[in-house]
Amino acid sequence: MRFVASLILIGFISNNSVFAQGEALFKANCANCHKPDADFTGPALKGVREKEPSKEWAYKWVKNSPVVRETDPYGKALFAKWNKTPMTAFSNLKDEEIKSILDYADAYQPPAAAKGGNNEPAQDNSFLFGILTLILAIVAFILLQVNSNLRKLSDDKDGIFRGEPVPFYRNKTYLMAGVLLLAAVGMYLTMSGWNGKGGGMNLGRQQNYQPEQPIFYSHKVHAGTNQISCLYCHGGAQDSKQASIPSVNVCMNCHMAVKEYKGEAITREDGTAVNGTAEIQKLYAYAGWNPATKSYNPDNNKDGIPDGASPIQWIKIHNLPDHVYFNHSQHIKVGKQQCQTCHGNIQEMAEVKQFADLSMGWCVNCHRESKVDFYNRADSTGNKFYSIYEKFHTDIKNHKMDSVTVENIGGTECQKCHY
Amino acid sequence: MKKITYIITALILGVTIFSSCDGVRREPGNIYMPDMAYSRAYESYDKRDSTKFTADIYNKGGDKIFYNNTPVLGTMKRGELFPYSLPNDSVGYKMSAEVKNPYDTIAMSKAQMDEAGRLFNINCAICHGAKGTANGPIATAGHVGGVANLTGGIYLTMKDGTMFHSITYGRNLMGSYASQLTRAQRWMIIKYLRTLQPKAEAAKVTADTTVKK
Repeated sequence: MRFVASLILIGFISNNSVFAQGEALFKANCANCHKPDADFTGPALKGVREKEPSKEWAYKWVKNSPVVRETDPYGKALFAKWNKTPMTAFSNLKDEEIKSILDYADAYQPPAAAKGGNNEPAQDNSFLFGILTLILAIVAFILLQVNSNLRKLSDDKDGIFRGEPVPFYRNKTYLMAGVLLLAAVGMYLTMSGWNGKGGGMNLGRQQNYQPEQPIFYSHKVHAGTNQISCLYCHGGAQDSKQASIPSVNVCMNCHMAVKEYKGEAITREDGTAVNGTAEIQKLYAYAGWNPATKSYNPDNNKDGIPDGASPIQWIKIHNLPDHVYFNHSQHIKVGKQQCQTCHGNIQEMAEVKQFADLSMGWCVNCHRESKVDFYNRADSTGNKFYSIYEKFHTDIKNHKMDSVTVENIGGTECQKCHY
Repeated sequence: MKKITYIITALILGVTIFSSCDGVRREPGNIYMPDMAYSRAYESYDKRDSTKFTADIYNKGGDKIFYNNTPVLGTMKRGELFPYSLPNDSVGYKMSAEVKNPYDTIAMSKAQMDEAGRLFNINCAICHGAKGTANGPIATAGHVGGVANLTGGIYLTMKDGTMFHSITYGRNLMGSYASQLTRAQRWMIIKYLRTLQPKAEAAKVTADTTVKK
């Protein structure tokens, strides 16, 4: 009995290791063009052996497909069926290795669909705190009333005369306090508005501005899940004043191949679901791309763009007034700032919203706190431009200062940004 | 007693009105001094005024102003290399092998090589991987198939000019990178890519004449 059990165990282990070996080999050699259970650049590998002329045919094909596809009839047909997409010859793979790959593909089970993200919104407790404050205020008010009543009772007992108590809504102290409170709240709301909206201070500021864009482009999917660098699309940020909106050509770099969205569910701010594949179709319409023929529409009306193509009218979110000069390349290339410093966690935003209020106080505060990459004369590191700041070099030498901020080199002078 | 009812009603009303004010901000809001906030000159990505613009710049151009159009043919940016003249077809692809990398004669400085590496990581590594071994995030996630392993196979012997041609016009599933990388940057990236390829193996494969596209 024990013998049988150990045999089964050994069989199980060795079987498992073959599966693991096949998986590793598949991922290293085949996964670029093949999927186990779906057609990709090449056919799905699950069950291919049953269609092939013989069990050994696959070994021949994998090792030397450029020759087999010219000589063997089944190879010829296969090559033609896949639009003459060549398969690389893997002469380094042994027969048993190819067998383990195909065994792996046959036994492959797709992983259970990923569950929707754990998107519970962060609990906002301010409403609860407001109610608590209100209750405490009422309790304090009642206690004050009780206190004055008790005092009146004890005074009456001692024979000290007091007039009838004035009700609180005619008590001058209470009335005055109420008027002052109302005035303070009113002034606060006039200046700051409610919830960051309205109010004198927020005129011309657009914090949390989150317009609906013509295509639901999710930065969370692109910059977050797929880890595409911000500068891949917004390359202008390193070279010019503008971060630049990418041209449709940049979208099509990947979306010629990526035709449908299969990732985690995307939702709008109001909770409705977004059909990612339909949004990609919108891109194709703007680009004048025909996904069926895998080509751009012809330019019959000779306007220089494919017929039916039109520019995508993205809505600009971050706007600075005309009287402020701001240059992206200066901050990215020289200042070595991260995009997220000013734009927030873009890689987690399905719909982009303005993170900072872009007010002057916010700019100046950062200029006061940020240190420049000051030139170090001892080991010649840092930005060589700063080698001419003689006074700071002397001060650092004499330990009067340990670092140089943007403000020190004139970053808070009016004319730097307003001219 | 009646007064207290009034006060409580007012409080409840106030709280309801204030708490109903939040939500998604879809409007940019108001401007204090519009004449100081909005530029009178045309800015990047301004809407095109149909009375001032036309798409047909060659026939209906006249004295109208144009933005977002392609530059005049033959325009050269300051500091940019000469335009690449080979056409985007099979003949051009074949001829591109003869084009020499300008950085063959001018050695790249270390700073230039670092810059090329940075650009490679931004623009190429997303599919081809930081080491050029076809394991970038998009390739491993399976979104784009058939990503080339640039450190093996035909890419060891492929001429710089052919690579430049492919980056400029795109090849198979890869799109054109002409809008993202200047000509000089494309040549520099190819030089950087050569540093990722194994040296000894390159020599061995060059000797093997059977390797073909």
